[in-house]
Amino acid sequence: MLLDFSRLGPWRLVLVLIALLVGAYLLLPILLIVGLSFGSSRWLQFPPPGWTLRWYRELFDDPAWIASFLTSFRIAAVVTVLSVVIGLMASFGLTRGEFRGRELLRALFLTPMILPVVVLAVALYAFFLRLHLNGTFTGFVLAHLVVALPFSIIAISNALERFDRDIETAAIVCGASPLEAKLRVTLPGIRLGLMSAALFSFLASWDEVVIAIFMASPDLQTLPVRIFSTLRQDLSPVIAAVSTVLIALTAGLMALAALLRKDARS
Amino acid sequence: MTLSHAAHVPSPARPRRLPAGLAAVTPAFALVAVVFVLPVLALLLRSVLEPEPGLQNYAAFFASTTYLKVLGNTFLVAATVTVATVLLGFPVAWFLAIAPGFWSRLLFAVVILSMWTNLLARTYAWMVLLQRTGLINRTLMNLGLISEPLPLINNLVGVTIGMTYIMLPFMILPLHATIRSIDPSVFQAASLCGASRWQAFTRVMLPLTATGIAAGALMVFVMSLGYFITPALLGGTSNMMLAELIAQLVQSLLDWGLAGAAALVLLVVTLAIYAVQLRFFGFGQARS
Amino acid sequence: MTCFLDIRGITKSFGKVAAVSDVSLEIARGEFMTFLGPSGSGKSTTLYMIAGFFDPSAGDIRLEGRSILREPSNRRNIGMVFQRYTLFPHLSVAENVAFPLRVRRRPAAEIARKVEQMLALVRLEGFADRMPAQLSGGQQQRVALARALAYDPPLLLMDEPLSALDKKLREEIQVEIRRIHRETGVTILYVTHDQEEALSLSDRVALFNHGRIEQVGKGRDLYEAPRTRFVAGFVGHSNFLDCTIAAHAGERADIVLPDGSRLPELPIDRQAPVGAAARLMIRPDRLRISSPAGADAPAGIDAVLSDATFIGETFHFALTTAWGGALNVRMPSHTLPPAGHGVGQRVRLSWAPGDARLFAE
Ligand SMILES: Nc1ncnc2c1ncn2[C@@H]1O[C@H](COP(=O)(O)OP(=O)(O)OP(=O)(O)O)[C@@H](O)[C@H]1O
Ligand SMILES: [Mg+2]
Repeated sequence: MLLDFSRLGPWRLVLVLIALLVGAYLLLPILLIVGLSFGSSRWLQFPPPGWTLRWYRELFDDPAWIASFLTSFRIAAVVTVLSVVIGLMASFGLTRGEFRGRELLRALFLTPMILPVVVLAVALYAFFLRLHLNGTFTGFVLAHLVVALPFSIIAISNALERFDRDIETAAIVCGASPLEAKLRVTLPGIRLGLMSAALFSFLASWDEVVIAIFMASPDLQTLPVRIFSTLRQDLSPVIAAVSTVLIALTAGLMALAALLRKDARS
Repeated sequence: MTLSHAAHVPSPARPRRLPAGLAAVTPAFALVAVVFVLPVLALLLRSVLEPEPGLQNYAAFFASTTYLKVLGNTFLVAATVTVATVLLGFPVAWFLAIAPGFWSRLLFAVVILSMWTNLLARTYAWMVLLQRTGLINRTLMNLGLISEPLPLINNLVGVTIGMTYIMLPFMILPLHATIRSIDPSVFQAASLCGASRWQAFTRVMLPLTATGIAAGALMVFVMSLGYFITPALLGGTSNMMLAELIAQLVQSLLDWGLAGAAALVLLVVTLAIYAVQLRFFGFGQARS
Repeated sequence: MTCFLDIRGITKSFGKVAAVSDVSLEIARGEFMTFLGPSGSGKSTTLYMIAGFFDPSAGDIRLEGRSILREPSNRRNIGMVFQRYTLFPHLSVAENVAFPLRVRRRPAAEIARKVEQMLALVRLEGFADRMPAQLSGGQQQRVALARALAYDPPLLLMDEPLSALDKKLREEIQVEIRRIHRETGVTILYVTHDQEEALSLSDRVALFNHGRIEQVGKGRDLYEAPRTRFVAGFVGHSNFLDCTIAAHAGERADIVLPDGSRLPELPIDRQAPVGAAARLMIRPDRLRISSPAGADAPAGIDAVLSDATFIGETFHFALTTAWGGALNVRMPSHTLPPAGHGVGQRVRLSWAPGDARLFAE
C-alpha cells in the first residue's frame, strides 16, 4: 500500500507536493544561472530586461579567464592519467594481494575522501611552503591526485572484484604471459571501471576549489579559484556565463556516463 | 551445482620474492603517505609545538568565547541542515522509488544534475537569490508580505539554505536505494493485519528505513561540519564556521598552532562520527 | 617405454592439510581419463598441478618424458576448459578462438583457417561474430572447447565443464565431447563428481578419496570389481551388511551373519583375522528374491519385504533382515510374477557366486 503510488490515497498529494517543491528548489538555481548569463542586466535583475551575449564575449575575450580554464584543464588531465594508472596498480594490489593489512591500507587510501578538505588544504599549504610547491603545476597535480585517487581506487577495485579472475587464468593457459593476459584480457574486461575512474578523477580535480584557493598564485590560478575570488568582490554576470559553460559540460559528462552505463548493460 | 557455487581456479603459480601485490600498492602508498599523512600530521603537531611546546593552543581554543561560538555555529548549522535534508529528502526518495516512470526519472535527473553542477556555480546562484535585492526578497516585497528586505545572506540563515541545497542529493540517493529495496508485500501484509496507512508508516516503513536514514544523516552531518566554500561565500564574518576559522587563522592571523588545534578538533569529531557509522552500519555504508 | 603423461607421486599440502597425497598415474596418448570423487577429494588440485596453477609439494609430472614442473602455465601448451564460463567477454567468438594463436604470433591466414576449422569441430559455424554474452551456457562451453583445442595441445584438461548446465544439455554436450575426442585424438583429463558422466565418457576412471586415488580402471571394473569399500559404495548402488570373519583362506573367507547363519567362500579385499568385523557387499540388481527357506531354497539371507515401489522398468524392494539389517533389491519389472511380492512376505535373497564381496573393516 505505501509502496504503490496509485494506492497512497491522500498521502499521494502530500508526496507529489513535496517532490514538486524540492524539484523546484533543486532546479531553479540552475535555471536562474543560465537565464542570468544571457540577461542584459549587470545588476542581475530577474527576469532580465533584455537578452545579450555580452557576458560570454567578456568571458572569452579575457585572457585571464581563458588561462585559468586551460590551467584547470591541464591539471585535471594530468591528474586523470596519473590517478587511473596509480589507482589501477593499487586496486590490483588491494584486490589480489596476499599481504597482511590490506583492508587497513584500503581505508588509508580512502581517507582523503572523507576528511574535511580544509584540513588537508591548510596542511598541504604549510607543507608546500617548505618545498616551494605552492603556485606550481606540480603542487596542484600532487594535491589533486590525493583527492582524486580514492575515486579511482573505488571504481577500479569494484570493477576488478566483479571481473572473474578465471578469465585471466584462461588467457594464461591459452599461452599468454601473465602481463599479456592482463593487458589483452583483464584491462578490456574492466574498461568501464577505468572510464568511470577517469571521469571521477577528472571531475575531482576540475571542481576542486578549497586546496586550490590556498595554493594558487597570481600566475597560476585554476578556474574555481578565479570564480571564487571574483565572487568575493562582486556578483558579476560573467560568473553566470562561466557557470553556464560548466553546467553544459556537466550535462555532457552526465550524458556520457549514462551512455557508459547503457553500454555496460547491453 | 550452479555457477555461483563454482569455486575459482587458483591463479597460476609464480616464483616471487615479495608478497603478491605489495609492489603494486607502493606508488599509491608513497603518494598518500607523503602528500597526505605527513602534512596532516605535521599540522596537528604544530598545535602542540607552536609557539612553544604544550597544550596552550587547546586551552586558548576552549577558553575563548569567540571560538566556542564558532564551534556552536558549526554544530548548529550541521544539525539544522541534517534535519532539513531528512525532512525534505525522505518524501522525495519515497516519491522517486514509487512514482510513475517518467516523473521519477525526470526528478532523478534533476537531483543528479544539481549534484554534479559545479559547487561554485550553485553557491553563486544562491548568492544572487538571497541578496538584499535578490529575487526572493523582491518577490516577497512585491507580494506585500514584507516591507523591508529580509537578511538572508551573510548570516547562518543563508549558510543553512545553501548547504541544505548542496547536501540534499547525498540524502536522497541512499534513501532512495533503501526504499527501493523494501519488499512491497510487507505493506500488503500489514494492511491485511488491519494496519492503517499511518500505522503502516510508523510501524513498518520507518523501522525498515531507519538505518538508511541514520546512515544518510550521519554522512550529511559530518560533511556539513567541515564544509568551507558555502559558509565562506554565504556566511558573514561575525558568524563563522569551523572550516572558515581554520582558514582564517592560517591566512590572516598566521597562527599555525591554533589552526592545528582547530583542525584536530574538527578531525576528532569527524572520525568519531565515522567510527559510529562503521560500528553500526559496517564498511559498505561508509564507503559508498 | 615412457608413457605419455606420467604423474609420479605428487603431493600438495596447504599448511597441514594434504589436499593431494602421493598420487601416481600413467596416462596413454589419446586416452580419455576421468577423475571422479567426492567434493574436496583433490581432483581439481591434481589437475591444477598439471596446469601449473599449483606447484606440487613433492613428486614430478612428465609429459612425453620431460618434466613440465619448471614451465609456467603459459608455456606448458596444455588446453583447459573451466567450470565457470571463461570466454573473454570483449571478444567475439572467432576472436576468442583466435586468441591462443594470436599470442603465439601465428600468421593471419593460418589463424583464419584454424578458427573456421575449430568452429566447425564444435558445430558453431554460424556464430563467429557473436559476442559471448549472446550465447547460451552450452554454446559458451563449446566455444571454450574450441579455444582450448585451437593450438592443438597434446593434452586437454576439463574441470567439471558441464556442471553449470542442465541435465539435457549436459548429455547433449557429452556426446559432442566424445565425438571430438574421437576426431582429434587429443588426450583428455576430465574432472567430474557425476559418476554417470564419468562412466559414459571415459576410457578409464581414477577414483579419488581424501587426496588419494582409491582405484584406477575401466568404469566396468570399478563397478564389478571394486577394490575397496569406498569404491564399492561410491560407484553404483550397494547393499552393505555387517558380518564377522569365521575362516580365512587365500582371497576368500567364510563369514557369520548376526543371526548366526554362515556363508562360505566369499572373495575378500584383504587379509583379516578370524573374528574380525567385515562388510558384505551385494549390488541391488544382483539379488534374487525367492520363496523362503525350504529344502530347495538357494543359499542366501532370509528377510522380510518392508516396501515395494514400481518405477517403470524396474521394481524397487526394501527388505529387512531378522536382526534389522536393511537391503535394497532392484528387479526388471518383466521378470516378476504377475502377483508380485507382497509387503510383509518372508523371502530368501540369493545371488550368483562372485556377486557378493567382503571388505574387512
Ligand atoms: N588454495 C587452497 N588453500 C587451502 N586449501 C585448499 C586450496 N585449494 C584446495 N584446498 C583443499 O584441498 C582439498 C582438495 O580440494 P579440491 O578442490 O582439489 O577438491 P575437488 O576434488 O576438486 O572437489 P570438488 O568436487 O568440490 O571440486 C580440499 O580439502 C580443499 O579444501
Ligand atoms: Mg574441483
